[in-house]
Amino acid sequence: MSFHLAPQADLERGITTLGGRRLVFHCHHYNVFLQRTIEDALQERAPRLLVAAGMEASRSMLQGREGEAQSGSAADVLRRAADTFAAQGFGRVDIRQLGEGGGQATLDHSHYAVGWVSRWGKRPAPGCFFAAGFLAGAVAVAYRLAPERVTSREIACVAAGDERCSFRVEVW
Amino acid sequence: MAIDERVIVETVTGMGLAGNEEGLIPAFGLYLTNHYADFYNRISFGVLGALVRENPELTEDAVALLTEAAHVCAFHTFGGIMASVEWDALVQPMIESREDWVLGMMAVVNAFGWGRFRVAELLPGERLVVELRDSYESSGYLESYPRADGPRCFLANGGMAGLMNLVYQGDITRRPTLTEELYREVFSDPRSFRSRERLCTAKGDSHCEFVVERMQG
Repeated sequence: MSFHLAPQADLERGITTLGGRRLVFHCHHYNVFLQRTIEDALQERAPRLLVAAGMEASRSMLQGREGEAQSGSAADVLRRAADTFAAQGFGRVDIRQLGEGGGQATLDHSHYAVGWVSRWGKRPAPGCFFAAGFLAGAVAVAYRLAPERVTSREIACVAAGDERCSFRVEVW
Repeated sequence: MAIDERVIVETVTGMGLAGNEEGLIPAFGLYLTNHYADFYNRISFGVLGALVRENPELTEDAVALLTEAAHVCAFHTFGGIMASVEWDALVQPMIESREDWVLGMMAVVNAFGWGRFRVAELLPGERLVVELRDSYESSGYLESYPRADGPRCFLANGGMAGLMNLVYQGDITRRPTLTEELYREVFSDPRSFRSRERLCTAKGDSHCEFVVERMQG
């Protein structure tokens, strides 16, 4: 992992940060169980909460980190975001089709899809909400867009039986 | 040799847990993520707020849902770690007693970014008191909400109960297979452990504190 992606650890306080925001290790059991708990509790409102939380959490971190990096084009920012996403264990995302107007991204080895299938098998609809939010946050930061202008949703998901996870990002 | 927390924290931190060529972090028999504390806080406090606003009498049920997620986390995450080759190499050589399993796991958790845990009291098989400073849950709560009327470290609270259940109910020292059946057996036992967050910075205390005891003595 290159220097600009490396989280900063304060061992005395038990704190790790990246771009000024805290990072915490958790495993797939907790991640997908917590997501399922929220989906069961909020039903059709759950995706909105999960995607929005993913977008805001990742946007805050990426903004902070890019403020430290202070270099590169929007494409560089997106590439660093994808590298960070992979370094954090969420899977390998291809962002080459994303631009200022949005676009499509594909994700191989999605942590949430892998975790969901390993616990419960297939689900009836896509379930990588955090990844969808992350991509919206990355586009917003890369192109300096107000967050309310960017939406993202997963249109195919390994956990729902598709060959790979795929996302559509739209800019309004 | 007793548990050397500093060695464990520095070694786990130094493992450089980061995504492989697939962008996954397979470690301790699990898939890990180095995730955003903000994400967990937004979704946990978000669902709690939504349920309580619509139906205030559901507060206890909402907290129970988040606590259950924490029990699942502890059972699989802590259990997976204590059954891993990494544990065998790093922590097992320091273990002299069953209580060292609790202390060793606490040291590993202190490398996970959750804040700094310290065991204040451990009565073998009966009671655990743990202090936590810089909890990501309570500090995250206070960034977005006014002072809470109750504790907010749902993950840490359930995690402490899960740790005691693994060590003294599920006997993780014998390396049982961590199945759903074992989870239900361990956590539904009337003598299993539950945790209470007695102090929490989200409600104005100087630090967070958890008291873990058996449901029936």
